[in-house]
Amino acid sequence: MTDSEYPGEILQSLEDYNIDIRDFLPGHGSGAKLLLNFNKISGIEQVKGIVLKGREIENGIVADVVIKKGTHHDEPIHLCFGVNKESGIQEIFPRIIAEDDTDVKIQAHCSFPNANGLIHKMFGHFYIGKNCNFTYSETHYHGENSGALVAPVAIMYVGENSTFENNFNLTKGTPGIVKIMIDIYAMRNSTIRSNIRAFGKSKKDSIRIRDSIFLEGENARSLIKMKAAARDGGEVLMYGVTEGNAPHCNGHVECNEIVLGKGSICRARPFIRATDPTSSISHEASLGRFPQKWLDELQAKGLTEAEATDILIEAMLRE
Amino acid sequence: MLLELENVTISTFDQQRIIVNNVSFGVKEGSIHSIIGPNGSGKSTLAYAIMGLSNYKLASGKILFEGQDITNKTITERAQLGITLAWQEPARIEGLTVAKYISLGMKEKSSAKAKEALKTVNLEPERYYDRCIDDSLSGGERKRIELAAAIAMQPRLIILDEPDSGLDVIITEDFWNIFNKIKELNMTILLITHREDIGMVADYGTLLWRGEHLITDEFPKVMLQYCKKAGLKEYCKRALFKNGAKCFDDDYIDKIFAGVDL
Repeated sequence: MTDSEYPGEILQSLEDYNIDIRDFLPGHGSGAKLLLNFNKISGIEQVKGIVLKGREIENGIVADVVIKKGTHHDEPIHLCFGVNKESGIQEIFPRIIAEDDTDVKIQAHCSFPNANGLIHKMFGHFYIGKNCNFTYSETHYHGENSGALVAPVAIMYVGENSTFENNFNLTKGTPGIVKIMIDIYAMRNSTIRSNIRAFGKSKKDSIRIRDSIFLEGENARSLIKMKAAARDGGEVLMYGVTEGNAPHCNGHVECNEIVLGKGSICRARPFIRATDPTSSISHEASLGRFPQKWLDELQAKGLTEAEATDILIEAMLRE
Repeated sequence: MLLELENVTISTFDQQRIIVNNVSFGVKEGSIHSIIGPNGSGKSTLAYAIMGLSNYKLASGKILFEGQDITNKTITERAQLGITLAWQEPARIEGLTVAKYISLGMKEKSSAKAKEALKTVNLEPERYYDRCIDDSLSGGERKRIELAAAIAMQPRLIILDEPDSGLDVIITEDFWNIFNKIKELNMTILLITHREDIGMVADYGTLLWRGEHLITDEFPKVMLQYCKKAGLKEYCKRALFKNGAKCFDDDYIDKIFAGVDL
């Protein structure tokens, strides 16, 4: 596949996230790649130690990403699931397996620049083996018409002594209706960090994200950070769940949401549960406006309150 | 005078208690002017009121900047006139880089000028310019970045709210040098401090005591009155030095403390 065969419009939004478009195109860089244009696989590029396979199904694909035992790669694996049509259904069934002793990153991008009645669904399974260092980052762009319905579900298993970082970012464009469910199971001595960022910008934007971490192994640790803003009637619900089900596990849920303009709604529902007497689980949440002191600090530099708020939102939602 | 306070009174938000009572003094352009006084004397309250923070409105009185009445101007309007404040405990705003933070108040954005401001506060641009303002910065580093951001604005008046709080005494000289560099940039400094070693860099001073204005004069004279009020004669003899020389003879201090009319 050449650069010109994949719709540039799909990749354009990567620039808003400060990601180099070329990284996603086969023939550039040293990372493995898989590109999906609506329901057709446009390109696959494998590298040593990383197996990428895809099979087209009626409304999308089944994709396998296997990182072979002991593989270390600095360059991320790039996955792009794009649709430049206004409507249709795209369904993705990824299975991602990182075998023991691996160190890799995946950078995924879901881009629907013209969405107006488009449905994107994902049902993903992640298996991270022992002694791994694994980062999964997913950026989304749903166009400017609030015209997408996006409903990903992911179940993730993180093995002993592994570190897993999950980053989800939906801060550019207008989200439309978004329903996300992530379940992460953390085994012994594993460390999980999950960072979720979303921005609802109109009354047609409704975002509900449930990010759950189950600390099932001794000394497992986790931190969920959920940050969101809702503007001009947008609605965001962040549901951060952590369960401590093993000795000496430690988890924390943090949620910060900013409400801007009349009719906007932010909700946070931290749900924490401990079933082991040696576990330690905590949460904190703040909703509403930015602290007055932060606004004062920026206004003392000559910014108006609106300008200061924009700067603070940009900072809060930055990856 | 660059800044003039006329009979300024500030009360608590619920107006139940007066914090600063009927204070009047002026700050000369190009000077370092220190407001001193013990904890709870109203120093920071006065600084916030001069900056125009919404919770620090005047109950009565006027604030003039370059002769213009700014009493009813907002914090943004005052900043745009050339007043800024470097905070005692500036916030750590994750996601904002040092570069972005410093450039916020700059009229003409310039990375060279932003880096120059970092150098002025003795921070190496190559180490700090691209960093985020997060927990990886120490309290001292964060304060210096705050100061750099204030300098980069090129304001007429910088209010420094306890820039020394929580920092090692060993860096006092470092701060003196920074204040003098700011002065050389033709900015006026209003320095809020309760440490006389930091305040001794000042040309002039104002002593606040339980919200009351006691004296505005050359800084050593103000410091002498502060010591007298606090009953610290020996300390006064031991500590009041400027440019390596004692500010007052011991006999003079004894007379002042004895209440002799000089």
